Amino acid sequence: MNLLALYCTHQTTSLAVRERLAFATSERLVTGYAAMKQRFPETEIVILSTCNRVELYVARRSDAEPMTPPMLAQFLSEFHDLPLDDFVGELRAATGSEAVRHLFEVISSLDSMVLGEPQIVNQVREAYRVAEAQGACGPIIHALFQGAIRTSSRVRTETRLAEGKVSIASVAVGDFAKSIFDHFDDKLVLVIGAGEMAEETLRYLKDEGVREIVVVNRSPERAQRVAAEWGGRAVPWSELNTWLGQADVIVSTTGADKPIVDASLFKQVRAAAAGRTAFILDLGAPRDFDTNVGDLNDVFLYDIDSLKKTCEANRKARVREIDKARKLIDEEAAKFMAEYYHRASGEVVSRLMQDWHAVSKDELDRLFHKLPDLNEKDREQIERTVERIVNKLLHPPLEALKVEAREGTPHGLINALKRLFRI
Amino acid sequence: MLKTSVFCFLASYVLAFACELGQFRWRHALARIVSLLMAVAGLIAHTFYLLYRSNQSDLPPLLSSAHDWLLVVAWLAVLVYLFVSLAEGELGIGLVMWPVVLLLVVSAQYVTAAPSHVLDYHRNWKLLHATLLMLGTTFVLLGFVLSLLYLWQHRRLKQRQTQSRAIKLPNLELIERLNRWTILAAVPLQTLGIASGFGLSIFSKGGELAMTWTDPVVIGGAVTCLLMGVLFVWLLIQKRSPGRQVALLTAWACGFLLVTLIGLQMLTAAVGMRSIHGNASAPAAVATEGQAP
Repeated sequence: MNLLALYCTHQTTSLAVRERLAFATSERLVTGYAAMKQRFPETEIVILSTCNRVELYVARRSDAEPMTPPMLAQFLSEFHDLPLDDFVGELRAATGSEAVRHLFEVISSLDSMVLGEPQIVNQVREAYRVAEAQGACGPIIHALFQGAIRTSSRVRTETRLAEGKVSIASVAVGDFAKSIFDHFDDKLVLVIGAGEMAEETLRYLKDEGVREIVVVNRSPERAQRVAAEWGGRAVPWSELNTWLGQADVIVSTTGADKPIVDASLFKQVRAAAAGRTAFILDLGAPRDFDTNVGDLNDVFLYDIDSLKKTCEANRKARVREIDKARKLIDEEAAKFMAEYYHRASGEVVSRLMQDWHAVSKDELDRLFHKLPDLNEKDREQIERTVERIVNKLLHPPLEALKVEAREGTPHGLINALKRLFRI
Repeated sequence: MLKTSVFCFLASYVLAFACELGQFRWRHALARIVSLLMAVAGLIAHTFYLLYRSNQSDLPPLLSSAHDWLLVVAWLAVLVYLFVSLAEGELGIGLVMWPVVLLLVVSAQYVTAAPSHVLDYHRNWKLLHATLLMLGTTFVLLGFVLSLLYLWQHRRLKQRQTQSRAIKLPNLELIERLNRWTILAAVPLQTLGIASGFGLSIFSKGGELAMTWTDPVVIGGAVTCLLMGVLFVWLLIQKRSPGRQVALLTAWACGFLLVTLIGLQMLTAAVGMRSIHGNASAPAAVATEGQAP
């Protein structure tokens, strides 16, 4: 199989190099396809460029000159205007079945920074879609990427690789907040501080349907920025206690060096909301809420450490699924290769049969021309006999080809048949 | 008609419960399917058993005996379990529901199973009385199960435990809402059921249905119904009450009602005490001996 994958990923290459090799914008990607097509005509190409990887998949017909890693590395160097020595040692390459297996592992998220994360499937699908839109796909790439999508779907349904949340914010919302509240569209979310993790949590809460967000921060500008970004409103720090008393979900990420809320204060501010459940996500380090707040009735307090345990447990559970996923990938890769070789040998088979039957037809026409007295029945008998002879003669080489295709690459035999019969 | 025994469906229910428990260690779709199949098989056998008993006594199962009445409640509980399980496959309702069902089925063996033909009089009124009580008790039972689920989920969340992959619990807000509704439905049904019982007794004063104030089942039923009524009023007047407190109260009240109802039936059957719900006849475990095919 004339397929090459050249890649650098978060596992092999530093971010400093990856970001210089990335096709970061859609314009850059389109230019990249145009440049590759110009430089490597008759080549099928897919460029997969994400924050964690830059990968090139190139394929050619079996009889074309194979692509090599140095050819692609040179292209990357020229396209990105980077000295080859700056990155060539960090590139990895895989060919044929290894390249197939690599793509199947990538799309199944075995190669991702967060094992089992779902975004990679969409990223690969998008890369394939763009390649198709750029006219860079051919039969090999189509078959390869469709096989990859099928494999990822199998891995996700037949293993638990994607089960359980593994980030603090997703565990907080998915495993705990959703176990407390049935719906979020009527819940008031109070964000204290404006850290990155608070924003990540807001993203998950927004996905669950949260409408009302109040941001309180010592810096009003930052509060305004976060509130504007998430469709909430910023309120002054002096109103903190008022909103603590009303909120259903509290996300706190201040940089305070000691807790800003203790049990007595919280009980006091919640007096008017007795019986109302509060979910507190304390993402501050040091913590913003005293641990005894969690002992109050109908208060569920979670800090980073308590959520980390769940993240770690989920991560371990995913790791336990790796072998099962690899087994599926091996199975799908083997199936893909067998189908590919079957198709490749199929071409030779059909051309061989066409040629031999054409020869036999020519000879029969000549014979019937010399024997004009033959009746229709005799002609039919002769035609059938000759056809049987051709089929019997073709059977042994075709059977050998079929057997070899089942076991792997039948390049040797295909080439031999091509040379022997001038196909 | 197909003749089945209590053992047939009890064994199916035990297996279904074992499969539910097994999913803690071995989570597999097959275990889930086996559990559901066992529940369906048990329910079918259970239905045939009730129909057979009804045919034998020529009375609806609700009026036949305390044994049949308890089995109808268990039958309804299994039906609710199947409905919830098919709608929300991953909910761990079975872990709480099955012990209650098994308790009802086993208890039914120790209450009177002899058909009461006293019921030929005022049959429709009696049917109404038994139906209201049966529906009320089913809601009480659901309230009990929901309260336990609430307390289980609450404990998990307070202790910050990871959600089990095998069995998911409903969220607190949903359980709280359902719990409130079951109590609000159970108490009027129970009250009407008891009131219709009193009414029947008054109308047949001096007859076979005459109630005595020392009837333990009547006294126990009235006291627990009063307790439930207090809970009902409290729920109505409280705009917001801590969910755990509601769950605890419901669990205690419903649990007490179930234990009282079943316990008193068993007691009257065991000591031969006079009660209009099961007077002085042998418990089902003895009475139905040898009936199994």
